[in-house]
Amino acid sequence: MRDDNGPIPLKVVVAGGFGVGKTTLVRALSEIPPLLTEEPLTAASVGVDDIAAVPGKNTTTVAMDFGRITVDDALILYLFGTPGQDRFWFMWDELARGSVGAVVLVDLRRVEDCFPAVDYCENRQLPFVVALNDFPGTTGFSAETVREALALAPDVPVVRMDARSDGSCLATIIALVEHALERTTVAG
Amino acid sequence: MTPDEPARHTGAGRRDDRVVPVYAVTGGRTRSSGRDLPVESLVLATDRWAGDLQKEHRMIIELAGRPVSLMEVGAALRVPVGVARVLVSDLADSGYLVVHAPAPAGVGGRPAAEVLNRLLAGLRAR
Ligand SMILES: Nc1nc2c(ncn2[C@@H]2O[C@H](COP(=O)(O)OP(=O)(O)O)[C@@H](O)[C@H]2O)c(=O)[nH]1
Ligand SMILES: [Mg+2]
Repeated sequence: MRDDNGPIPLKVVVAGGFGVGKTTLVRALSEIPPLLTEEPLTAASVGVDDIAAVPGKNTTTVAMDFGRITVDDALILYLFGTPGQDRFWFMWDELARGSVGAVVLVDLRRVEDCFPAVDYCENRQLPFVVALNDFPGTTGFSAETVREALALAPDVPVVRMDARSDGSCLATIIALVEHALERTTVAG
Repeated sequence: MTPDEPARHTGAGRRDDRVVPVYAVTGGRTRSSGRDLPVESLVLATDRWAGDLQKEHRMIIELAGRPVSLMEVGAALRVPVGVARVLVSDLADSGYLVVHAPAPAGVGGRPAAEVLNRLLAGLRAR
């Protein structure tokens, strides 16, 4: 039932702490409105801003950070936003498997929120870029300072972006794909 | 997203606006029968005539007139993606749909360089 000559789905994971801009980034790039899905409560707590749980109910309607970019008629890129928190790791494994890689969003006022996501990517050898979101008062930090603070490997791209700008979000995704491509060349 | 467990879904709490009652469409089966389709797997309708199928199956086939992911199928039918996976598998088995799973993996299970190059070119052209 699988057909190797058909359209190809690709995915990118968008990670980072609460309020760092995941939803903003996914919506900026997606050509479809946010999906309302009905999911079991365990899975529903992922990538979700607001869970309205009803007692006695095991599923709930959630708005996923899920976006779609139809790159061409045979290549579709999906974006999955997910909070980088320990209790969501089970979710990460499924989303990260086979993905292009991850964008780890960082709010420099709360750098530590991105540590778990960075650790995860490093441990699983998932290609990732660190995207410094342009929040007020964060321009004083250089990318190099951040690289040092996060103890990033020299090849990991650190980019600045503003999740409220479509072009900026696209540039971040492009940086990730470039990096993932380099990794395939180096590794293979 | 993970293999779902809608089996414990109770009638009492069911949303009235659900398009498809979970049990009805999956015949009580709530797990995919060993098929491990990732949630981004694409579904595309074949030209097999589907006029005699039940409504929710026809909805999926209509939706799959262009490539859509399991995630999108689940959302359109208002069922968990695990249920969408079962429905899609059944329709694929009987020839109404073709499922395009992610490209054969390159190094480390990641997409191959050729695919990434195409993706890069497509994104840069935007
Ligand atoms: N200044 C600034 N605000 C941002 C940026 N990205 C997101 N925001 C704002 O930060 C808030 C939280 O963003 P959201 O996308 O909901 O974060 P999430 O919790 O990671 O999904 C929203 O009000 C956004 O408009 C950014 O790059 N710069
Ligand atoms: Mg959000």
